[in-house]
Amino acid sequence: MRFEGVVKRFGRQKVLAGVSGELRPGRVLVVAGPNGAGKSTLLCILAGLLRPSAGDVRYLKGDEVLPREAWYPLLGVAAPDMALYEELSALENLRLFARLRCCHEGDEPLGAALEEVGLAATHHHKLVGTFSSGMRQRAKLAQAVLHRPAVLLLDEPSANLDEDGHRRVGTLLERLKPATAIAVATNDPREMAWGDEKIELAG
Amino acid sequence: MKRSSLLAESLAILWKELASELRRRVALSAIGLFAVTTLVAVAYQIGPYGLAEQDRPFLLSALLWIILFFSSMAGLARVFVKEEDSHTAPTLRLAARPHAVLLGKLAFNFLLLLALQVIVVPLYCGVMGLAVASASGLALVMLAGGAALAITATFVAALIARASGSNALFPILALPLLLPLLVAAIAGTRAAVGSPGLAAVLPALRAISSLGGVTMVTALLLFPAVWRD
Repeated sequence: MRFEGVVKRFGRQKVLAGVSGELRPGRVLVVAGPNGAGKSTLLCILAGLLRPSAGDVRYLKGDEVLPREAWYPLLGVAAPDMALYEELSALENLRLFARLRCCHEGDEPLGAALEEVGLAATHHHKLVGTFSSGMRQRAKLAQAVLHRPAVLLLDEPSANLDEDGHRRVGTLLERLKPATAIAVATNDPREMAWGDEKIELAG
Repeated sequence: MKRSSLLAESLAILWKELASELRRRVALSAIGLFAVTTLVAVAYQIGPYGLAEQDRPFLLSALLWIILFFSSMAGLARVFVKEEDSHTAPTLRLAARPHAVLLGKLAFNFLLLLALQVIVVPLYCGVMGLAVASASGLALVMLAGGAALAITATFVAALIARASGSNALFPILALPLLLPLLVAAIAGTRAAVGSPGLAAVLPALRAISSLGGVTMVTALLLFPAVWRD
């Protein structure tokens, strides 16, 4: 994924002023900067959830440029503004998204995905609405990586997580890194340590 | 990467809507409240003998659709707004094709409306002493009217969900689309009440199908842009 000269304005306010970079498998790109610098906005633009005011975002498969609609199945995204269904259990949420993404091969892999992020089997059938913020974050991470995405975009991935959760996210990224292009938006020094490259947004 | 079929994705979304609704009962409660309140109010004020015989087919048909319309709008209009309010819309946007979202939510709204009709129509006919000359004609008008109403309400709900101050927009956008549909549905119900056989309801069925069909095609063409941009 390549992005060049990405600008985003909300009315008169310019949030991003010509940001460029590249995401490649085997590399973790950290997008850093103070609050309001546009980290989440940049990730939304890379996910195709927002259109840039100017600039270009291209998803390349070899030499072929994929249309925006073709990105979605290849993306995994976890962000504070993206929620799971509170009235469904963690397992039901994962089952739903696995069915939508055509990767539902029974409940066993879904349970394994939840356990990998630290949600024990006793929580799998509990409604997400009853979860603490840390448990919700773990379920969101499991949803984001369930379909083995080619590009993984994480906005403050260990927000609300305890030390065990933070360690698990690091381990997850290490496992996915060889085959997945990863971007992490953060201003947490511990998360910045996962990065191989860094974009510092001015704010 | 292999993709799910459109049918499989739509059914997954329908299942999610049904499971959510059965657990929260937000739409069911709103629809039930409006249906019971309006039905009791109409029955109490008019009853089976409160109208002149020659006025009964038209006025009772109109009242029936007013009850169905207001009851259903209380639930159907929230089908997309609730995704935006609960921040699940971006998650769904990335995982499902726009047409699957539209069809899954449309199927849910149609089932909700069908359940409302199954309960309200026989109850209304019994309470108001409405004798129906063509039960099959009435069933067809209800089915077609319910489908067209669900299509229109779902599409307008999708349009308003992306606009800020969305709830105020619903009646403005829905009025020109729903008014001709209601007029045709009332005419069809009146025909089924007054005339045996299906011939009398055919003009109304044609009008309802045309309106529903045009709205469905428009929704299929515009929804991807509405949902993703």
